[in-house]
Amino acid sequence: MRKRTLARGLAGIWWVTLFFLYAPLFVIVLFSFNSANSTAVFENFSLAWYRRLFGNEQIINAFGNSLVLAVSSSIIALVIGCLIGYGMYRHRHRKLGWLIVLIYLPIVLPDIVFGISEMTFFVQIHDWTGLLQPGLGTMIIAHVTFQIPFVALIVYSRFVGLDPTLFEAAKDLYASPIKRVVHFMVPTIKPALISAFFLSFTLSIDDFVISFFTAGPESATLPIYIWSAIKKGVTPEINAIATLMIGAVAMAAIFSMLFNRQGRR
Amino acid sequence: MSETMTAETADHPGARPAANERGRANHKASSIEMQGLHKRFGRDTVALDGVDLDIRAGEFFTLLGPSGCGKTTLLRILAGLEEPDAGSLVVGGKNITETPPHQRSVNTVFQSYALFPHLSVRENLAFGLKMRGMPAAERHTKVDEIADFIKLGDLVDRHVDQLSGGQRQRIALARALICEPDVLLLDEPLSALDAGLRSQLQVELLRVQKRLGMTFVFVTHDQQEAMVMSDRIAVLNGGTIQQVGAPREVYERPVNAFVARFMGHDNLYTISARKSDRLITALGELTAEDAGNGELLLIRPETLDLLPGAVEGPNHLTATVAERLYRGSHAEFRLAIGNTTLQATVNNRGRHLPEVGETVTVAVAPEDLVTLHE
Repeated sequence: MRKRTLARGLAGIWWVTLFFLYAPLFVIVLFSFNSANSTAVFENFSLAWYRRLFGNEQIINAFGNSLVLAVSSSIIALVIGCLIGYGMYRHRHRKLGWLIVLIYLPIVLPDIVFGISEMTFFVQIHDWTGLLQPGLGTMIIAHVTFQIPFVALIVYSRFVGLDPTLFEAAKDLYASPIKRVVHFMVPTIKPALISAFFLSFTLSIDDFVISFFTAGPESATLPIYIWSAIKKGVTPEINAIATLMIGAVAMAAIFSMLFNRQGRR
Repeated sequence: MSETMTAETADHPGARPAANERGRANHKASSIEMQGLHKRFGRDTVALDGVDLDIRAGEFFTLLGPSGCGKTTLLRILAGLEEPDAGSLVVGGKNITETPPHQRSVNTVFQSYALFPHLSVRENLAFGLKMRGMPAAERHTKVDEIADFIKLGDLVDRHVDQLSGGQRQRIALARALICEPDVLLLDEPLSALDAGLRSQLQVELLRVQKRLGMTFVFVTHDQQEAMVMSDRIAVLNGGTIQQVGAPREVYERPVNAFVARFMGHDNLYTISARKSDRLITALGELTAEDAGNGELLLIRPETLDLLPGAVEGPNHLTATVAERLYRGSHAEFRLAIGNTTLQATVNNRGRHLPEVGETVTVAVAPEDLVTLHE
């Protein structure tokens, strides 16, 4: 009897958690299709807010910025993070404690600290050299820096999971160093690479704090636009943007998971 | 210890297979010459301490020894996966000491098989050919040929993770053979398999080697496996070669106590005094013939005859049966003689097998006694 109560209690925690995780999202998605200008009462189903959204040049710009930022930073982070992940794997037998901490730090550091320090740093460099004018460029650099640790760790853990003699088998079977990269390493860790890309993409699209501190006047992303728009109150238009973002991020997350699972098969 | 049958009974040692056999045996085999190979890891670990070894073309050669004896390091140096600190390596008349592994015509069957998880079986088999720049159509033909030769059947079209251990092992062998290397290296390729499959694959591997006439260098810590498979065996210990010889030589005439113990011999006795051919040990006095001048006496258990009761005679020892292990085809006895024990193996020919506690006489033939150094 007691066991049953415990099981029910645990199941209850699960359902309550799910409710608090997904109910707010459900409400936002629902009210994005509301015909009335209200976030409390649902009247009729309508796509009016979506139509308005796509007519709003600021939003389209912000969306474009978000996309350019996410894609370019993810690609750069993928290349650099991949090299770091491989380096960590190759030198895993040495004492790497402090290096691992260096890589982990940006993951645990509060975004606001990271954002402010990036901003201060970029401004100083700009004052001295005239380079690094705040804008999309500085945002890409900032995003790449916080994406790299995730990519490096995903790639590293994929390499660690491989039989080390595979590297020797590739050498033994006449693969030169370049052919080993092209025909063995990249194809072997491909699922991890795709998964790391989508994770970086999601992190970038998601990010508000770091983008906010490193953005220039012309380079507002969707989260920055939402933040400034919301000062005038939450409109169903914001709900519509949020719904689109939920969709995009969910898709990236699902892709990331699918590819990672395929790699672990 | 009656399983001393070697490959010789099935096949003549060193006999080259008929050149037209499936059109594969005309592959040229290469000899290997190793000179003064040294290798140490870190400061204190000496893996190889001056190894000189010649391996003949077309030979099934085994490196045998306990773990840490240097056999794997030697194999890795042959493959180019490890660089020797000193010494030279010549394969087929060419010095390849400094040649990187991907430029050596040497292939390896790894202990873990090391099949590429991102590739199908067919792509795994073709990997080496592809890296050497063979066109796709030709690779396809080659894969079909080797699949036929190793009898892989429909395994070729499966995915690597659908294969059992034995199947992986055969794919790994085929993947190395397809490149037609000068030398094939095998790093304990059967150690992960269960006993039945293992002896089946031993026979298969041996047949493949005889048919191809390729030089095989095989690493194992299992002396039974080494004796069954090899044309010649090198026994290693502590980074040096203890003995090189045909299986019968190494088993029947080990050069020192280490080799004798490693080949499974327990009957070793210190010679306390000797007068020409008469040797005094803890067992008593025995006459030996042509036994060498070592300070240890080796008596192989399977050379002994047991007679019931106490029988006087030359080279007869009176003993009491302390233990009897009945094994069907034969029985193993632990015999107490004075303060020491002697192992004896007797074939079960349906005659009386002495019981524990029974007094027996051990008859030792002088020509079966061997002496060796510590």
